[in-house]
Amino acid sequence: MSHIHIPDGVLPLWLWALGWAVTLIGVGVAGTFASRQDARRRVPLLAVVSALMIVAMSSEIIPIAYHVNLAVVGGILLGPVLSVIASFIVVAVLALLGHGGITVLGLNAVIIGIEMIIGWALFRSLITLFGRTRVGPVAFGTTVVTLALTTTALVGIVALGGSEAASRETGSLDPATLRFENPLSEGLFAVGLLSGGEEGAEEPAAGESTGGLSVGRFATVVYTLGPIGWVLEGLLTAAILGYVARVRPGMMWGGLLTRSSLRPQGDDGTVN
Amino acid sequence: MDIAAIDRSATRGDGPLRGAAPRTKLAALALVLAAVLVSWNVFVLVGVLLVLIATLFVGRVDLRLALTLAAYPALFALVFAFASAPDVMTAAVIVAKAITAALAAVTVVLSTPYPQIFSPIQRIVPGIVGDALLMTYRTIFILLEKFSRLLRASRLRAGLRVGQPIRSAQATAGALGGLLLYSVDLAQRDYDVMRLRGYEGRLRVSTQRSSDRRVDAVLLVGSVLLLATSVVWRVAFGALNPYSWLTVIVPLVLVISAVLSTRRARR
Repeated sequence: MSHIHIPDGVLPLWLWALGWAVTLIGVGVAGTFASRQDARRRVPLLAVVSALMIVAMSSEIIPIAYHVNLAVVGGILLGPVLSVIASFIVVAVLALLGHGGITVLGLNAVIIGIEMIIGWALFRSLITLFGRTRVGPVAFGTTVVTLALTTTALVGIVALGGSEAASRETGSLDPATLRFENPLSEGLFAVGLLSGGEEGAEEPAAGESTGGLSVGRFATVVYTLGPIGWVLEGLLTAAILGYVARVRPGMMWGGLLTRSSLRPQGDDGTVN
Repeated sequence: MDIAAIDRSATRGDGPLRGAAPRTKLAALALVLAAVLVSWNVFVLVGVLLVLIATLFVGRVDLRLALTLAAYPALFALVFAFASAPDVMTAAVIVAKAITAALAAVTVVLSTPYPQIFSPIQRIVPGIVGDALLMTYRTIFILLEKFSRLLRASRLRAGLRVGQPIRSAQATAGALGGLLLYSVDLAQRDYDVMRLRGYEGRLRVSTQRSSDRRVDAVLLVGSVLLLATSVVWRVAFGALNPYSWLTVIVPLVLVISAVLSTRRARR
């Protein structure tokens, strides 16, 4: 519930174009930075974590349109720089498979990128506070808090894009009358199937808008369904990271702790 | 999602759509997406959807697979529409936009090998991003295959039982963790082999050319017509809305013709 499942053409042009601009700049900067810091040796890890996120996001687990993201797992394993690249790769592949929309690709990448970076930063802070023996509970708490934050960001985006002013920009409203034009209201299809008959159809008052998205209802649905997903994802993240921390600590702390003095002894944090 | 089936469809089989230049298909996708973005008329959107179905028929692409893939985002769009649309018509438009845009993307993906799709992206992003994109797609197959084996092994060792959800969940999470480590090792070995063979930071993808330029022309002209229809109906909606049914009838005739011609060709 943390990335956008809004179809193409619903959000206004300025909003999704801004998402694309931010994403391209972010990927450009992260790509240049990653190339400089000899991150090429971590490209296989980047590919595997991105693939894992794609597989997770493309598998619906409950028939209420919910899937896990594993973005926090990805953020913790990759660190902030590679997370920006991974978020772009994940949403690009998913968009090509029809999942996520191509125009909202930028906004999706921003949301997932933020999720990965917040997850990385929060986990890093909490693990310093509670110690490395508490990987499971810390991962759970980090995931739930991160998903709650990014879900709020998602609602914010819908609020920005769903306002009446924005709706006019997308063309959902007739600019002349400020009304949503219904193609069933005239001609051959003017049978009033959706309005209770031609005679029962009510005309909105002059200047009245009917085309904006209901942000309040959207927020209610998201905050009702979301917590189920946050807890499920938190449990899964805790189990996966607990396993990786036990079996391959170098991979875990390599992405998390960038300073060599903080890495486990005898382990350079890379995978060989 | 059966990614193996998607890859099979993209790389094997024949049909005019697979012979078209990837660049043309991507340009056509951009035009169809623009048509979807512009239109808020449910009939125009359904018309575009029907044209895409006719294209899939003529292009000999697996229609069932394409519709299944397009239905997945439609499910999310339905939830979004239910949660935010002010009326039934807006909700219908939101879902129609989702299905049509997804089917347009899926049509390209099911008829084009993935390196050809990623090739234009590779040119505009830093080398590390382009390479990671190609390696990611390949890794998806490794993950899916290995995960199914791990789950089977867990089941055989009684790690997954209906009556023990917590134990099953722990086994699945352990399998995912093991899968992650295995895949990293495998990808690392692949990367080392690539380095030994001379990889120096950029995977090169040769661009596929069109096998029949007429198909490219038809794709582009068709896409431009769809966008033009969408724009005209948007601009002159007051005069044209009573005739919106035309935007469904004409593509419907196209679909029927495509089905009939495909059947005749098979005989």
